[in-house]
Amino acid sequence: MGGLDERLANYLTRHMGRPVRVDSLDRIPVGASRETYRFVMRTVGETGPTSRRMILRLDPPASLIETDRRTEYAAIRAFHGSDVPVPELLMVEENPDALGASFIVMQEIEGGEAAPYKLMEPPYEANLAATGRRKWSILGSIAKTDPAACGLDRILPPVAADDCWREELQRWETVLDADELEPQPIQRAAIRWMKRNPPPPAQRISVVHGDYRTGNLLVNDRGAIIGVLDWEMAHLGDPLEDLAWSINRVWCFRKDERRGGMLPKDEAIAIWEEASGLTVDADALRWWELLACLKGQAIWISATKEYQTGATRDPLMALTGWMQVNSQDRATLELMGHLSHGVSK
Amino acid sequence: MKPDVSVYFGELVRSLREDLAPKLPTAFEQGAALRLAMLSQAASEEFDRAAARRFEENEAMRRLFESASSFVKSPDLLIRLQNVGSVREESIHVSELERVNQMMRVLLIELHAHVELLVGDDARDLEREIWSELSASTERRAVSIGRF
Repeated sequence: MGGLDERLANYLTRHMGRPVRVDSLDRIPVGASRETYRFVMRTVGETGPTSRRMILRLDPPASLIETDRRTEYAAIRAFHGSDVPVPELLMVEENPDALGASFIVMQEIEGGEAAPYKLMEPPYEANLAATGRRKWSILGSIAKTDPAACGLDRILPPVAADDCWREELQRWETVLDADELEPQPIQRAAIRWMKRNPPPPAQRISVVHGDYRTGNLLVNDRGAIIGVLDWEMAHLGDPLEDLAWSINRVWCFRKDERRGGMLPKDEAIAIWEEASGLTVDADALRWWELLACLKGQAIWISATKEYQTGATRDPLMALTGWMQVNSQDRATLELMGHLSHGVSK
Repeated sequence: MKPDVSVYFGELVRSLREDLAPKLPTAFEQGAALRLAMLSQAASEEFDRAAARRFEENEAMRRLFESASSFVKSPDLLIRLQNVGSVREESIHVSELERVNQMMRVLLIELHAHVELLVGDDARDLEREIWSELSASTERRAVSIGRF
């Protein structure tokens, strides 16, 4: 068995029916749920030799979240050609025989940066407010998209407007139950509160990206968002879920009030309202923000467990346990009105 | 033990950031080195306070369990509050403090849920005290690498 580049080339050759060479295969530090590689695909087409920069997204042995590559493939395909920028897909392969795991191959969107710590620095820093306005405008567009019109209603499981909250709460509480390595009194209190104070039914059943945050956006050096990535958690649900996740405190990369490191919360919400055509109910959004805290904590403690048990030794997984778990509890306390600001870190 | 552990960690963090990461050939490897530096920074902070924060937290929970004993309605919960509240650590090793801490935090969750359903000023006062301790415990566990 050869290296990953050789096995990928063999697979692509079989799949495309002509010789393919894979050059410059290089793992890149994006995405927490998949191993992501950049490579150059060289082949000979009808018009002669071709060379394309591509991305391989390979399921890892352990990840932050259990995801479905077919969901990601369908969601990206559904939004291709819309005002939501997504990469062009080449293939999805669910059989692990070729590369040892399921994978997706897609076009690389060149000239973009996704690492949040880089986006907070020059040359991106000067355009962060404009990038932020576009960020929440795109999210509003996703919320406005009719799942039936883009075909995702036939692929993603249906959900009733008054069941969205219940399904998500149950989903993430189940993860917490299964993966917590230590008691979580703050999250348990939040869960009890959420069950006693459910939000109103969703105003609209939308496509929910599921992980819409700064680190899943490709931004060019002029501040334009040229790609929305990581659709593997996409589902149908209440669009407030995505909005709440996008403004989660743990994405305050500049350690100030700017959500996603880009815009104040109120401004982000106003832009989203305009783009989505929806009006945000403050109490409902607060509920979904608490759900975002639970969802985040469930993801972080799952990653912690993967590291603790030796399923992975990726330092990112350990980092989530030491950094994100505490920040997520602080965010939960803030939303519930119990955060003490008297102690500085 | 000299040099101080904090001095060693400080040099490790600097070395990972300034010496090792820039020399690694790929962005992925550089990112991993920087993450190891962040983890080392957090480990340094935790090393100094590991026993202290657990000790403080365990004492705070014992006080909460004692306060609750006068008005908790469930006999079973009352007995467990008394039993767990009287457990003393057999040493001040972090692992022992942690063992008792986890046992007490499981019971704290149960007490919190119970108190939420009780009426009366005593219950509300204890609920506020529980939240205050949960907030304080979160601050004790905070690391400088956190974003919030």
